[in-house]
Amino acid sequence: MTVVPAQQQGGSGGGSSGLYDVLELILDRGLVIDAFVRVSLVGIEILKIDVRVVVASVDTYLRFAEACNRLDLESGPRKDPGLPDLVGKMTESGAKGKSKGALSGAAETLSEAFKQGQDRAGGEEREAEPARKSTSRRTSTRRKEESE
Amino acid sequence: MSTYVYGIIDAERELPDGLAGVGDPPNPVRALRAGGLAAVVSDCPEQLRPKRRDLLAHQHVLAEAGADGAVLPLRFGSLSADDDAVLAVLTDHAEHYRSQLGELDGRVEYNVKAAHREDDVLRLVVSENDEIRALNEANRAAGGGSHQDKLRLGEMVAGAVRAREEQDAKILRDALGSAADRQAPGPESAGWLLNLSFLMGRDTAAPFVESVEELRRAHPHVDLQVTGPLPPYSFVRPAPEHVS
Repeated sequence: MTVVPAQQQGGSGGGSSGLYDVLELILDRGLVIDAFVRVSLVGIEILKIDVRVVVASVDTYLRFAEACNRLDLESGPRKDPGLPDLVGKMTESGAKGKSKGALSGAAETLSEAFKQGQDRAGGEEREAEPARKSTSRRTSTRRKEESE
Repeated sequence: MSTYVYGIIDAERELPDGLAGVGDPPNPVRALRAGGLAAVVSDCPEQLRPKRRDLLAHQHVLAEAGADGAVLPLRFGSLSADDDAVLAVLTDHAEHYRSQLGELDGRVEYNVKAAHREDDVLRLVVSENDEIRALNEANRAAGGGSHQDKLRLGEMVAGAVRAREEQDAKILRDALGSAADRQAPGPESAGWLLNLSFLMGRDTAAPFVESVEELRRAHPHVDLQVTGPLPPYSFVRPAPEHVS
């Protein structure tokens, strides 16, 4: 049984991207048996990322306002308020832009944090580049970095 | 020398030869049998840390151990003082673990994560909400608008996006839940609008993945990630004495 993303995702590749997708399951799920001890996760504490998809804050509001200001509303058919079905066409067309913004940055954050965790854990295995290629902003991401 | 425990399988099962475990160089993986069960273990390296290599080894061993039969995956980093202590756990809770192996036989976990594509969801809320659209146009006409105007627009947009997150999460949950035997929430820290694991028979995985594909087509503003088949990380239960 090889673990792979069940679907090819647009543009994201990398042989081990599956690891990033299951990391939290490996670390946070699975059977715990009281008679056993768990290895210290020092160095991976950084994975405890506190992200809110949308944070209610002035920063978020300003960022959204600016994002809407630069939004290319012309990339799809013009919305006629009387014809809701046009919305579907518009979003389909919009999706072709393949944009990944702050809202979908969690996977990247996870893999990036993972890499940082490794770096902290002795600077080993620097070949472990995140499989995600997107370099989107994630200003809505709050990361709680815990020192070792 | 402590013993690293990967998971539990039926005692009748054999592990593939040359299975590589945690450590550098990797420690060989072996089985400890008691109570009709086999614990999949290896020696534990000194100073085991959660590094990429070892996380991958843990995942790989469980994938191999579960390739042709049920496996109860342990959480990463489970250590026993020695082999005897592992055997004692198997013996003490043989019935519980055997019944879980029975329940999970032929079943796999798929994890689904969803997030909004930002520009697409913004385009959606601007087009669907007359007030937001009007305010956005007014701000644009004013070269971006005043600080207060921006805050007002941004707050409305944030509210609309949040509502959309809930709405989309419900759509996904309803659509995917019916295709699976059981579901369990993923760890909450990762900030997805949806992070759910589903348990299903290996043979029903294909329709499940197809239904995800349909959702992708129907909701192009949602970024959907599906991972599987996985060992049933989210569907194993501790023995009753271990419930905390």
